[in-house]
Amino acid sequence: MSLFRKQWTPREADEWTVHDFVASVLAMASYVLVAVGVAGALLLRLWGFVALGAGIICIILMYLVIDPKLKAMSEAFAKRQRQYLDDIDKTTRWER
Amino acid sequence: MPACTMALVEFAYLDWCWVAIFILVMITCGVIFYRLGKRSESEFFLAGRDLPWWLPATSIYATHTATDTPMWITGVIYKYGMRGVWFPFFCAWCAVSSFVSARIFRRSLAMSQAEWQNLRYSGLGSELLRGWLAGWQTFMNMFVLAWVSAAMGKVGTYLFAWPHWVGLVAFTAICAIYVLSAGYWGVIMADFQQGLIAFLVITIVCCWGIYEAGGPTAIVQKLQALGEGWRLNPFHFDKEFPFAWFITLFIMATVGGIGMGNFIDWYPEAQRIQSARTVRDASYSIYAGGLATLFRNGFWVVAILAFYVMFPNITSQTEYEMGWYRLAFEYMPMGMIGVFFAAILAIHLSTISTHLNLGALYATRDLYHHYVNPNASQRRLVQVGRINTILLLIGCFVLGLTMKQITEWLIFALWLQAAGIWIPSILQVVWWRFNSWAYLSAWVANLVMSWLVVWVLPALGLIPKLPEYQQFWLLAVLVAVVYLPITFLTKPDDMDHLVRYYVMARPWGFWGPVRREAIGRGLIEPNADRSQ
Repeated sequence: MSLFRKQWTPREADEWTVHDFVASVLAMASYVLVAVGVAGALLLRLWGFVALGAGIICIILMYLVIDPKLKAMSEAFAKRQRQYLDDIDKTTRWER
Repeated sequence: MPACTMALVEFAYLDWCWVAIFILVMITCGVIFYRLGKRSESEFFLAGRDLPWWLPATSIYATHTATDTPMWITGVIYKYGMRGVWFPFFCAWCAVSSFVSARIFRRSLAMSQAEWQNLRYSGLGSELLRGWLAGWQTFMNMFVLAWVSAAMGKVGTYLFAWPHWVGLVAFTAICAIYVLSAGYWGVIMADFQQGLIAFLVITIVCCWGIYEAGGPTAIVQKLQALGEGWRLNPFHFDKEFPFAWFITLFIMATVGGIGMGNFIDWYPEAQRIQSARTVRDASYSIYAGGLATLFRNGFWVVAILAFYVMFPNITSQTEYEMGWYRLAFEYMPMGMIGVFFAAILAIHLSTISTHLNLGALYATRDLYHHYVNPNASQRRLVQVGRINTILLLIGCFVLGLTMKQITEWLIFALWLQAAGIWIPSILQVVWWRFNSWAYLSAWVANLVMSWLVVWVLPALGLIPKLPEYQQFWLLAVLVAVVYLPITFLTKPDDMDHLVRYYVMARPWGFWGPVRREAIGRGLIEPNADRSQ
């Protein structure tokens, strides 16, 4: 399965796949790199600029990996949301 | 901060103008969105679940920035150098959460974490959990309000020699105007401008501080000349900051993003996640909010290093914690100090507005609507939301004016919430067999064990006073000894209930039996299995 897959059916997007794992890893990597990269770059350290650049690349990769899947999942879920909201009130009602 | 009778700063006419304009703009926000906020309970507490990702994202950033945040971060950077950046790194739970717990929570459609307990678990245990979390969160939000308001009272005393109660009451009361008017709409719109103002001013003050210290190169050279070059290394580990501390913080941030309720920040963020228009907006809002927070921390780190090279010999924690504020008040030009004070107000009001509305959400949705009056009209629920906001406000004033050593109590209260239930908060998301009694027992065990481990046993000399990261792991193990047997000794939650939750939220983890049941009932198409 391609990491940069662009087409997802709603059913496929609902499932947990390697894309979610990769996006989470890239998200955490971008946080670490930005946290130290901003400080390093402000001090004009070479490693700071490298870390910040790597952090930005991680953000772009994360977006390319996960966005098509998130879009497909969101559109499908939005259509079912009204029905689910009605069900919640019945499911969690205290006076049953 | 020491109380003083002399004002630290003198405001020019222009400074007061900035403050007045800022307050006016914020209150106007409340008036503008009054009509939207009063439409329903969902509008008053979630802005109708229709916000684009960047609005909750700015709110998440603003919420992660409280009046005491600069003091705390200044303290750890001044003491530990650049490696101190890992102390506030726990907010990185937002990274993993963006694509795991935020997605699951948004799909559950729960208005609050307490309501989620009702959706995830069934039966009496679920009701007990919802009631407990609702009560705990109502109180905790009032507690945080009191703490933050008291901090503002101290700032007022420190800067203008005002009596303590003036700073405590005045700004929190101003904030209450727009929270009462427009509910979450007022919070989110004010947070947007407050977040932008705070971000901009923090950046300006940090750059100003770096300039005053002679610029980036001079800071590096001065640190090396002082024999403090290690302060430039974010991965410098020694006895004072051992690798075990770093790993604990890193694991907490990474794995914590899978769970719900692991961190005190989860509760306001859950409200923002649920207010996002779609699952995609929810994911991006929490990711971007966390990223902006860490970006800001990077600026703070360098500004505090600048402060360190200017004042390297401060030994009093109370004194060096004020370092970033000193950079602003002692070095910013006249006329800009008012802008800086407006930014402090922005930071303060964003925290206050969040907790006022959040506390009222738990009191209204989870206590009043769920237990007292399930048939209440939307109009009535908004009224009760406003009444609860006023009650929280009064409670916060009483607590804030009467409590003295609140910081210690707050840290303990946060610790209570974090350590022992950290793993159970993950298990409840990823493991179908983990039931309400297990989670409830983890809470009770954590309440008892944290008192024992943190205070009672060290006071009796039975165990040494442990560093916080060792307390964390010890509590995690001790509480597990209670909830794991209870998980297996009690029945799983009702399968019908679990299937309903699974089909809607699609949780990640060990949900095999529930998934098979959902497929068997035709609620999930079997061929979806093949894509896993």
